[in-house]
Amino acid sequence: MRAYVLSRLAQTALVVVLSLTAVFGMVRLSGDPVLLFMPMDIQAKDVNEFRQRLGFNDPLAVQYARFMGGAVRGDFGESLRYRSDALGLVLERLPATLLLGGTALGLTLVLAIPLGVVSAVHRDSPFDHAATVATVLGQATPGFWLGLMLIYLFSVQLRWLPTGGTGTLAHLVMPSVVLAAFFAARIARLTRSAVLEVLGEDYVLTARAKGLAETRVIAKHALRNSAIPIVTLAGLEAGQLLGGAVITETIFAWPGLGRLTVQALLNRDFPVVLAAVFLISVMYTLINLAVDLLYGWLDPRVRLRA
Amino acid sequence: MRGLRCLLVVPLLLALAGAPSAAAQDRVKTREIVVGLGAEPRTMLAVTIVDWTTNTQLEHIYDRLLDRDARTLKPKPMLATAWRVVNDTTWEFTLRPGVRFHNGEPFNAQSVKATIDYIKDPASKSHYAAYWRKVKEVQIVNDSTVRLVTDGPWPSLIDRASLTDALMLPPKALKELGPEKLNQKPIGTGPFRFVEWKRDERLVLERNPDYWQGPADASRVTFRFIPEFSARMAALLSGEIDIMKDVPPHALEPVERSGRAKIRSAVSSRINYLALVNLKPGPMQDLRVRRAMNHAVNVDELIALVLKGRATRICGPLSPANVDFAPVECYQHDPARAQALFKEAGLDPAKLQLTLDTPSGRDKIKNRNTGDMFFLGWGPSVFGQGVMEPLFQASQTYSSYGNNKAIDEKIARTITVVDARGRAQAYAELHQMVRDEAPWVPLWQQHDLYGVASHVEWAPRADEKVWMYDARIIAR
Repeated sequence: MRAYVLSRLAQTALVVVLSLTAVFGMVRLSGDPVLLFMPMDIQAKDVNEFRQRLGFNDPLAVQYARFMGGAVRGDFGESLRYRSDALGLVLERLPATLLLGGTALGLTLVLAIPLGVVSAVHRDSPFDHAATVATVLGQATPGFWLGLMLIYLFSVQLRWLPTGGTGTLAHLVMPSVVLAAFFAARIARLTRSAVLEVLGEDYVLTARAKGLAETRVIAKHALRNSAIPIVTLAGLEAGQLLGGAVITETIFAWPGLGRLTVQALLNRDFPVVLAAVFLISVMYTLINLAVDLLYGWLDPRVRLRA
Repeated sequence: MRGLRCLLVVPLLLALAGAPSAAAQDRVKTREIVVGLGAEPRTMLAVTIVDWTTNTQLEHIYDRLLDRDARTLKPKPMLATAWRVVNDTTWEFTLRPGVRFHNGEPFNAQSVKATIDYIKDPASKSHYAAYWRKVKEVQIVNDSTVRLVTDGPWPSLIDRASLTDALMLPPKALKELGPEKLNQKPIGTGPFRFVEWKRDERLVLERNPDYWQGPADASRVTFRFIPEFSARMAALLSGEIDIMKDVPPHALEPVERSGRAKIRSAVSSRINYLALVNLKPGPMQDLRVRRAMNHAVNVDELIALVLKGRATRICGPLSPANVDFAPVECYQHDPARAQALFKEAGLDPAKLQLTLDTPSGRDKIKNRNTGDMFFLGWGPSVFGQGVMEPLFQASQTYSSYGNNKAIDEKIARTITVVDARGRAQAYAELHQMVRDEAPWVPLWQQHDLYGVASHVEWAPRADEKVWMYDARIIAR
């Protein structure tokens, strides 16, 4: 078990290095970052002087070596746009990102799993149909539209909730609902189909034949056996949420990682882009590892093979 | 379904919106003002990064050497009380006595020298180094007198000194704490002191009770960063913010009707133009074609119909808000004349194909990768050199027009005329020359539209200085 985890962690390092290399190449090949930071009415020769000073005139290989050399020591360089430590800027956004992502994920699971299970158990009932409509709507509604509508209703009209920013629990409500609306719809649909599939299995019939209470049959036999695909999707969603929910963060002025990363990409502020890619890829691979370990806990057969 | 209903209900509710919000009323009591901006500052260190959003916030903390008159945009005293031209390459500034930085350090000739030295030091990597390149030396005459010596005649020095290009840094703190620390906790002489900067969220400032012009009316100014304009509008309408810039024309009515905010507008010094690119082969290299374009575009109609009158036409590259402006004649809308000019140039206007670029970024312009024409907004544009030098010479990054020897020479001469009358004359001639060459279809000065909460009194300015020292909180 320990060997497995260690080898997976080594893979994580490899994934991180490869993603940094790929992103370094893409960002650097997409154009000259220096002009974007300079004032518009500046002389061409001053721009060149800046380029020289920042090392952008060196061969790409030299720049790559310099970057990787720094990155190993946790130094991603100085943000071109903000003139402060790139990794610091990224880490500063992490608490807000974790808070929003965690809340949204919790809300998603709390909403979606019961919804999916009840829909599956009462298949073709009015509840099931209503749930189907709700989940389709949830997936089809664009987050920016839902966000703006919520703001107009709950902030401008009812004045119950602030339009954006952080600080109190009230600030967290709308952004996490917008995120959860989309993610919960996917999980609920998947839960419904996974549970439906399992409900037809012989061991469920056996459990019922033993005279187990229906709630026990569902919770212990049906749900646990249909958990693998749900956990897989939830893991993917968690990765997406932690990587930052750009649109939701933008609409609700949430100081998260996604907004910072996308802005940095648009501005070719590549020290920040790379620091963000580093953090996001580390989190993503760790979540994947957690999901894989969960498989083993949920399904002993997976453990044996590992 | 739920979504659909919202879509119908929201405009109705908007129409019924009434009473001021509790939060806004609290702010009237505590005398706080919240300004909603689309982005956060890029640094807290003055004279480092050229960026409107950054500087509009920084100049609450730091003062300029000179200010600009809100109406004429001409330089006027601020930290310097007077200035004079000693000779063609020496400017002397008399500094205001008794001004102190927020840390108690006195403002004096040493501060001016330290600030300009900081800008010019390559280690500072300041964007402003290029702007101040011509300053060779800062001489301290005495505590309250300082001389700037340039390596050639440079009349625009006075224009740079009356912008955020000359926000004054505290020399002692700069030396002892270093730029890094000052970036975390900025120190200036301005009307507000730094309290807190929460990245991507807000910048909080408090009133400086010892400000040399007297304390501000607002006890606290908070800048909130709300990237989405609809969310910014919602924040204004719900009373979370008091001032927002750039209300889109279609949203003016809901703001006025809300009863919580009003619209204030200013004719901006920012100019918008249609560049007729002569720097690459094509029909735009022919003066007749460029003139034909000027006769073909009906600018007045565009303003009336598309912009609903919220723009003011310009006829040349300098707007009346520019201190070096001199009137030039507009090209009249005259389709027949345009047709004739096209034919004269050997082009059949019925078959002529031109590409108009509306670049969303500026990359295409910088890479000289646009079509025959492109749109660009430029500004705040308050002095001549800042337009003529970067936009009409082939060697410049953003120019669309150039390689005209007469204009190149005229620009080189004009930007060195120090004497005020000579300068006015030179710019008037240059303006006329450029107008005749028709390098653009000059379009308009946009009208900046601000949403201002009903309990705040504040008037916007043509140079886009959003300065809360000027704001008053009025009880309702």
